[in-house]
Amino acid sequence: MALLRRPLLLLLIVTHQFLQLWIAFGSVNEEGQKQEEFYEELLLKPLPDRKVLTHFHFQSSAPPTSNGRHHHLFPKAISQLVQKFRVKEMELSFTQGRWNYESWGGFDSIPSSNAKPPGVELWAVFDVPQHLIDPLWKNLTHTLSGLFCASINFLESSTAYSAPEWSFPLASGSLRYGTLPREAVCTENITPWLKLLPCRDKAGISTLLDRPSIYRGFYHSQRLHLTSTGSGSEGMDLGIMLEQTLTVVLQPISQRASLVRDSEKHIQPSWSLSSIFGKQVSGKCVLAETSNVYLLLDRGLVAELKQLHKENEKSIENSLTSENFWTNPSFELSAKPDRIFIEECSLLSKNSSVLYKFEVEKYSEFEPFDLGITWKIPIVWLCQQAPLHASRFLTGSGNERGAIAISLKSTQTTEGFMGAHSNDERCELRVDVFQVVPWYVKVYFHSLQVFVDQQPKAVSDIIEKIHISPSKDKVSPGVMELVLKLPCSMSSTALTIEFDKGFLHIDEYPPDANQGFDIPSAIVSFPNFHASMVFLESDSLNKSPLLSKFQEWSHVMSYTEVLLVPLTTPDFSMPYNVITITCTVFALYFGSLLNALRRRVAEEERFLKDKSAKKTGQLPLLLSKLSAKLRGRRSEPPHSSPVSSSFINSKLVFKVILIAGLAVCWQYYFL
Amino acid sequence: MAEISEANDSDSSELQDNGSEAPQRPESEPDFDPKLMRKTKPGLKRLVLTFSVLFSFLLGFPFLWKSVEIYRSPLPFREIDSLSTQLRSDNLLFPLHFHALFVGFDHDPDHLRRSILLEITKLTSQNPKCSNSYTLSVNVDLGSHCLHSPVSSPHSSSYPCGSVTATDFVQNDDVAVDERLVSVFGGKTKEYIVAVVKGGSERAVVGKHRHAWMVVGGGRKVEVAAVKVAELLVKLFINGGREEGSIRNEFMPVGADGKIVLSFNLLNADPLDWVYDWDFEKIDDTLLAPMIEALGPVANISVESQVLYHTPKASFSFWNQKLESYVFSTKDLPFFVNSNEWHLDTSIAAGGRSNILQFAVYVPSAKECPLLLQLPNGEISKTNGFISPMWGGVIVWNPQGCLNDSEFEPSAKNIIPIQDLENMFEVFIGQFRQLFGFKSVNVYAGASGDWNLLPSERGFTEWELDVLSRQHTCFNLHSCATTLVSLSRLVQSLPRMIIMDDIGKQVKFSLEAAKLALSNASSGAYESSAAASSQARSLAEDAFFHPSIMSVSYYSFEHCFAVYSPFFLPVSMHVVLAALRELRRYKQEKAKYLVWKAKANTSS
Repeated sequence: MALLRRPLLLLLIVTHQFLQLWIAFGSVNEEGQKQEEFYEELLLKPLPDRKVLTHFHFQSSAPPTSNGRHHHLFPKAISQLVQKFRVKEMELSFTQGRWNYESWGGFDSIPSSNAKPPGVELWAVFDVPQHLIDPLWKNLTHTLSGLFCASINFLESSTAYSAPEWSFPLASGSLRYGTLPREAVCTENITPWLKLLPCRDKAGISTLLDRPSIYRGFYHSQRLHLTSTGSGSEGMDLGIMLEQTLTVVLQPISQRASLVRDSEKHIQPSWSLSSIFGKQVSGKCVLAETSNVYLLLDRGLVAELKQLHKENEKSIENSLTSENFWTNPSFELSAKPDRIFIEECSLLSKNSSVLYKFEVEKYSEFEPFDLGITWKIPIVWLCQQAPLHASRFLTGSGNERGAIAISLKSTQTTEGFMGAHSNDERCELRVDVFQVVPWYVKVYFHSLQVFVDQQPKAVSDIIEKIHISPSKDKVSPGVMELVLKLPCSMSSTALTIEFDKGFLHIDEYPPDANQGFDIPSAIVSFPNFHASMVFLESDSLNKSPLLSKFQEWSHVMSYTEVLLVPLTTPDFSMPYNVITITCTVFALYFGSLLNALRRRVAEEERFLKDKSAKKTGQLPLLLSKLSAKLRGRRSEPPHSSPVSSSFINSKLVFKVILIAGLAVCWQYYFL
Repeated sequence: MAEISEANDSDSSELQDNGSEAPQRPESEPDFDPKLMRKTKPGLKRLVLTFSVLFSFLLGFPFLWKSVEIYRSPLPFREIDSLSTQLRSDNLLFPLHFHALFVGFDHDPDHLRRSILLEITKLTSQNPKCSNSYTLSVNVDLGSHCLHSPVSSPHSSSYPCGSVTATDFVQNDDVAVDERLVSVFGGKTKEYIVAVVKGGSERAVVGKHRHAWMVVGGGRKVEVAAVKVAELLVKLFINGGREEGSIRNEFMPVGADGKIVLSFNLLNADPLDWVYDWDFEKIDDTLLAPMIEALGPVANISVESQVLYHTPKASFSFWNQKLESYVFSTKDLPFFVNSNEWHLDTSIAAGGRSNILQFAVYVPSAKECPLLLQLPNGEISKTNGFISPMWGGVIVWNPQGCLNDSEFEPSAKNIIPIQDLENMFEVFIGQFRQLFGFKSVNVYAGASGDWNLLPSERGFTEWELDVLSRQHTCFNLHSCATTLVSLSRLVQSLPRMIIMDDIGKQVKFSLEAAKLALSNASSGAYESSAAASSQARSLAEDAFFHPSIMSVSYYSFEHCFAVYSPFFLPVSMHVVLAALRELRRYKQEKAKYLVWKAKANTSS
């Protein structure tokens, strides 16, 4: 009886657990019933150097329960891509121009996650065993290159991508990283990118994307980031989050350009959406959950504005956020914002930035949304900088060897934050450097030198952790990952590393080899510093992905310049020249050898003797002929037989005809 | 240095040679002319030398030729040619077996068989590509016993006499009759059975399986029934009820890798007016899945769907007051699909060479709703849709009551009602059948009368699937043969193109699969021959589109010539001229010697 009861109990337990599981699953299912969602947002921010940053942010998400094959809003191509290549996370960016870290700032979350190196940058994390990653990466590059009309397929070759160990915090081993610094970015790349949005550029904020305006900008970066959640096992559905951003820095055309006086030189240009894009927003994309435009005044600007108010003794502390803010003494907005956010005071700075929110939903075709800002008084401010300003350059000359130097200079603005830490005895600043070097730049890792404040330091004192995978000729690029611990008090640090320039096979040169070869940007990140802006949102219903993106703790990151290394380029016709010269030498050798073998010296001598015996005056005659010619007189040949001369002539003519005939035949039959 | 020393050596030998020659010159001899004769035999040394150099050069040429040769995997050109000639000479025969059962008639089965065969030969037109060989057996069921013709046929004798009676056909439920026939004959047999029953109301029905039956009125002659039976066999069971010579019959919308991707798109022309969504998953499970399973032997089908917005049509439509709707006519159809705005996309998941069929549901915007398709004869299309061969189909779906705007709240998300969706997908299945060349109506109107076709819930009936797999085999084999023939032509026309081993292997396997398909087809195994033929085709395409053929890495003759001519042209001039000179001189000298010898002989 007991024997019987035990299985029964077991069965009960099992069913109970199963029930629980089922209930849990059911609740998940219920929660997952949420629809595919789409958000569109635009952030505008005046920059200190009279330019405007415009940052478009589109987000589509597919919940895990939506069937993998059928989509309502989410782009089909992306979900198929994720399923086919088992992509866990991927980022692809197309960039033109270089983010100016000094004047556009380097600390906010916009530059740290949206400032990208010129050309194409792609990294992807795969959810497959190690040995399958490389083939998947190769197929992924081909698919993306077809999807975005770009030459991303050049990242297929193993010399073009690398597998960083710990520079990217997401995944070690299953991540692949590659860049194409020379890729030109143009409209053919943005059209497929827009195709992934449900409204494309037909409605909503994306109508602003007027191609001539955005490509006229100083910086243009189009980015696509996707994350898939859920278990990656076969048959399970994946939830996918697709984030598409477009960051453009534009120079507004000053409306009062003709009236520039000395006092107005520092006045920021007044601009509006229609003046920088030439278009207005006529309502939101109906498929978007939210459609907002934000105007961000950063910390430096807000501090400066407050200062000005104090000077004017108007003592309106909260003028920026008060009801009549748009008749602010320093600037004027053409539209009334729907909400004003003030950043929660961060630990690092006393000032907080101000964000104006405009809801596009309220506008329509008959009353289009056109945000404009008019500055009344001149104002100068600085954007918040990254703790160190990174730049990279080449040293050395000639085509044989050189050195790469990465210089990190402390920026003034960061001294404030360092001061907070300076009470500690061992204040240290952690800096991560990730550098990929192509194989034909043969780096000698032992020659790594570190200079802190122009003083050479032992490498082991500064470098906490280092990972190097040396390049293999024609197989893989060299990867260098460094973790530096720098003293806070230092003002500059330089890393140098020497290299030899390799030789390429004649087939491996690109079409314009004399232009030089690119070394991709190094990534310098500061894990101790986090770029985040917290804006308190009162209504959780109308959640904004852009603001939640700002709240995320992301490392402050910056990219260095792309370097151009001139390599020795051969004369590409050289192989043929060499072939021709050696063959001529060989032909001469064979000819003379054969002649020498065939020669009958004695017989020739005998002939000469015979001739001289018969015609004694032959040699003197010749000499006299020559001298006569030199003198310029015609000497009559004593015994010139007309027959023989005509014979020679006819022979000559025959030879010429023969050669010509051969040439004609050759031309006719072979060419 | 080497040449100088060698030259010295030859000089010294020359001296010796001449030393033996010169002193012998007899100055005293009066009739000895040194220009015309000589006393010594001419030396062979230089002649041998120059000729050995020439011969070593000539011997070296094959080695050179071998060294600059490029790798070409041997392709079985002859077998390719024989395959294509075999297919062209109409050797692809599919055996079919027909069985006609006459219930309630007491006619001579031989006579019936002869008359049916006569009609069949009248009706069969010569299909230029694939033909069928058929056998016919006739059974006359007299209740108590049966009469067979031919007597020894294995097919007709398997039928148990008296199991089908006229009472089975009295009921009006065609599906039940169909089931009854299946239970009698068994669903597994590959033969096509037609039962002719004498009864009351006239009916002619083709079942879902491989059966058909007709009820003939009492007064009708059996010969009329024979004509009708023959037409059924030829037009429906052999040709699938399709029009002869239609170009659509020759193309199958199946990709080279045997895959079809059905991409369903819901197009909201203007989401500002209304946004419609659909419950595609449900339809996929209930309507599409059985059809996909049924078509399994012919093609591997996958389904995907998406909803697109802001997709206006490219053609104009006009307001028709009488119909109270917007009307677009058939002549506007080529411009209906707006390839600029309808980014239907090729599928990433499919990849390769699979064929994508796009099916689009077009939801018109408020300013063109309701939108109707007008046929050339002025009528309004019932399905409100059209197909484009090899591309797919389009249906215009008008939202309910789109004229009275009051019901609609703009930009609210609506779901297409499930009833409408089911109707829509039934139309899509009809369009899909049309893309395969079948009729989408349930009646076949033949010359000798109509046949009702029982529709299958799987979209395709068994006899239609037979037709498809026969045609698929035929199409695949022909396309495989043409691909291989063009490959062999290409390879032969470019003698300096590198051909990898892979290509050779693919061609070999493709030929093997084609042969297997041929032998399977002649033994009547449709499904395995269809599978083998699609494999043959995809291998042939793989070989033809192999990346190494696409690349420009072939080593041209001009290149070879440019590299080697600077060496071989001058050297060969020297060598050949030297050999010729030596030969001429040797002949001269020998003639001189002979003259002297003759003279010496005569003088002595």
